[in-house]
Amino acid sequence: MEYIILSIALLFLCAILNLFINENWKLKVSTFFVFVSSLFALVPSLKVLIFGTTLTPLMFNSPLFGTITFSMDVLSALFILIISILSSLAVLYSNEYLEPYLSKNRGIAFHCFFLMLLIAAMYGVVIARNGLFFLVIWEIMSLSSFFLVLFEGEKKETRKAGIKYLIYMHLSVIFLMTMFAILTNVAGSFDFSKYADVLIKNSQLANLVFILGFIGFGIKAGFVPFHNWLPEAHPAAPSHVSGMMSAVMIKTGIYGILRVLSMIGVPGKTLSYLVLAIAVITVLYGVLYAITQHDIKKLLAYSSIENIGIIGLGIGVGMLGMTYGNTLVSVLGFSGALLHVLNHSLFKGLMFLTAGSVYLKTHTRNIEFLGGLIKKMPYTGMMFILGSVAISGLPPFNGFISEILIYAGMLLGIPASEISLFIVLIISIAALALAGTMAMLCFSKATGITFLGESRTERVNNVISDVGITMLLPIGILAFCSLMIGLFPQYIIKLVLVPTMMFIDVEMMNDMFYSVVSLTQHLSWCFFIFLLILILVIALRLVINRKSKEYVTWGCGYDRPNAHMQYTPSSFDNLFVSTLKPLFKRVSHIKKPKDLFPKDAYFELEIEDIEEAYIVEPIIKLDEKILSKFERIQNGNMQQYILFGLIFLVVAIVGLILFGG
Amino acid sequence: MLITLLNIFILLIAPFLMIGVIKKTKAFWAGRKGVSIFQPLWDCIRLMKKTSVYSKTTSWVFRVAPLIGFVSVLFASLFVPLANGEAVINLQFSFIIFAYVLGLGKFFALISALDTGSSFEGMGASREACFSTIVEPAFFIALASISALSQNYTFESFKYILSEAGIYGYLLIALMGVTLFIMLLIEGCRVPVDDPNTHLELTMIHEVMILDNSGIDLGIITWTAAIKMFLFEALIANLLIPLGLPIISTIALFLTIITILSIIVGTVESAIARFRMTHIFEFIFIMSLTALLILALVTYRLYGN
Repeated sequence: MEYIILSIALLFLCAILNLFINENWKLKVSTFFVFVSSLFALVPSLKVLIFGTTLTPLMFNSPLFGTITFSMDVLSALFILIISILSSLAVLYSNEYLEPYLSKNRGIAFHCFFLMLLIAAMYGVVIARNGLFFLVIWEIMSLSSFFLVLFEGEKKETRKAGIKYLIYMHLSVIFLMTMFAILTNVAGSFDFSKYADVLIKNSQLANLVFILGFIGFGIKAGFVPFHNWLPEAHPAAPSHVSGMMSAVMIKTGIYGILRVLSMIGVPGKTLSYLVLAIAVITVLYGVLYAITQHDIKKLLAYSSIENIGIIGLGIGVGMLGMTYGNTLVSVLGFSGALLHVLNHSLFKGLMFLTAGSVYLKTHTRNIEFLGGLIKKMPYTGMMFILGSVAISGLPPFNGFISEILIYAGMLLGIPASEISLFIVLIISIAALALAGTMAMLCFSKATGITFLGESRTERVNNVISDVGITMLLPIGILAFCSLMIGLFPQYIIKLVLVPTMMFIDVEMMNDMFYSVVSLTQHLSWCFFIFLLILILVIALRLVINRKSKEYVTWGCGYDRPNAHMQYTPSSFDNLFVSTLKPLFKRVSHIKKPKDLFPKDAYFELEIEDIEEAYIVEPIIKLDEKILSKFERIQNGNMQQYILFGLIFLVVAIVGLILFGG
Repeated sequence: MLITLLNIFILLIAPFLMIGVIKKTKAFWAGRKGVSIFQPLWDCIRLMKKTSVYSKTTSWVFRVAPLIGFVSVLFASLFVPLANGEAVINLQFSFIIFAYVLGLGKFFALISALDTGSSFEGMGASREACFSTIVEPAFFIALASISALSQNYTFESFKYILSEAGIYGYLLIALMGVTLFIMLLIEGCRVPVDDPNTHLELTMIHEVMILDNSGIDLGIITWTAAIKMFLFEALIANLLIPLGLPIISTIALFLTIITILSIIVGTVESAIARFRMTHIFEFIFIMSLTALLILALVTYRLYGN
């Protein structure tokens, strides 16, 4: 336990140090510190996960917070594992990514400062066991990531995205504050263990707390309809930050939900169905909009929403298992969800970092301008393809393992239950299957348009070489981990099975664990057969290598094809989008060609988030309408402000005198 | 051992004969004599011997994709009970693995189509991807409902339909048969969804994705497509073969059903013109409908009383 505190302390030290050292050294020093601190965090967390023990909590007394407890149980340990891996890789990556920004007075110092603060705060969030202190760290995490998003703050859309992010995060804090206030009021202490004692006894309070917590943490995690900040903040942030935000930071929302769940005991039926319903909507909504995006990082952000939905499905299935007393279903659901948390961190980190490499080399995130990059950036391209396979949940990669666990939970949850559950589970299965194929469509588009085919603009032709080793290495490690979890799930599954102990009877654990591990064991064998056949076929193909020649792509006999003949991303998804017309709001900007000799003409199609357009914006408009009434009060006149203060004081004192006694 | 060899033979060679039977049937309805049923096999062997032409635009993805497609179909076949009524790998939740492995092959087919930088192939990829998004959920609904009956999550659950569902079993088998048959037409790229013999690129789906493949790659792709279609026929055959028959009659029945199904496919191709692209969705939605009917029937069976 002391080690993890030490690692947080190291990060703080580095944050302060960054303000004073030479600009060129900042990133290197930060990388060093993050690696060391990750090591200090990784080792104890692995120890906890492997032996299934909880480390002895550390306690501090403080006049403000009461007793502050830091504790690392199995659930925290899993998240610490993820944070430590991803943060060190992302920081390593940032070395080369930020090179062009060095010595241009771009505030690298502040960037590094907040980066360290963010990592430290994420560690803090998962080990803090004191309500008020948790909120403070939560706020530090939100604020530091807000400043990281604003790295390119001179751009208007970045500022807009940052402010949107800030607003959403504070919406989240309001719910969490309410939750903790209610809990503290009832329990009489800020301590998490006291909360649990109260909640187990009072199921109505438990429901209320869970709903507040789910909304509060759900905003951070990006569940629909609280997802709107994600597709804007992720593209605006620098790639290593968006990688870290999407891969790790939004998972603290999942952590929060699971933590609250572990406190309330067995959830009611309504709650479980509610979570499952929101998860189904999130999965489908996320992937539906991911397909339509042309900004690669926005696409990835929507895909994060989809994956959060998959995690939500797992949690929902696990909760249903708890409600109906089916332990195996519970174990499958929660372990699927937790494994997907890990998997998503790996491959989403991978995707954001590769997208960052593309941005670094081509200076655009719009895939309409790209194409054929695999010839210029062969390694990045290969990693992107591997990542796409993994993120679409295709075997033999890790995404498939977590999805099949969730499927298994759903299928096994069907028998011996009631009709509503049956229908709900079948719908969830269909939703997950639909999301899987849509993810395949989405990522075949992202890969195909960005990396394959002919380059569409000069931006690609100007790329000289692939990115350097410090950028490729983290990406490669992530791809390797994704493949390894796919091939050897039986070893990794143990790490996520242990945290499911928080939610099930410990007595039945061994049997359940055995059946899940044996399922993954069989999967592992299957994939080895698959690899065997693949290697055999490829070897055969290499042996009977026929003569071949090169020519241009078939164009109905036309042998001067050019890049603009290719399918564009809009045309690729058009069939799909036009089939589901009512689900999208399409805004097209057209400038038609005019006159006999038309000069410039263009057509641009934008797909707006329907939830934002029809729900969020009307609320904001209404807000503005009401709040504009108060404009008269805020008139910029200092004398009047002093008058307001005076009136307030008088009212307060009179109130105190009258009612205070 | 003998059975294994027979299965391998059936898996690798019979698909060509199946295509041959389909062609023969079409020739019969058109009043032609038609080619020998071995012709598809000879065609494939001839393709394998030819020189390949690769587009300058393509990368390694284009060369490796046919192999991955082939392997994915072979691997998927391990989960499907073939002639002797038993799958090679009998693992729970195998229908999910089956669907996802085929998905892997499809993913590589899609990106290899985009790799050529051709407008036609992008179009084909877009269509193929779009159709499979509608097919997949229906397949999962149908399979999940059927497996809920017997609590067996492999394709073996087909065998228990009759014993578990009683009189409704026949109806379930019929609905499942229709669902799988439509899926066969879609995944196998047959009329009325897609016409493998068409000559206009703009109307193709699957064929247009492989315009630039030639030689051995094209041979492998046609082989893959035939095996894939064969697998769906084998699934339908599994629906119809009752439990507990002696092994010889199981094999005989299996082969007969495959032949009859191929004749049906050929007849459908001769009787129906292919649909306009916009109507294909309506056709695929029939599959979703039958899948929902299966769900309703199973629900009634399980919770009706």
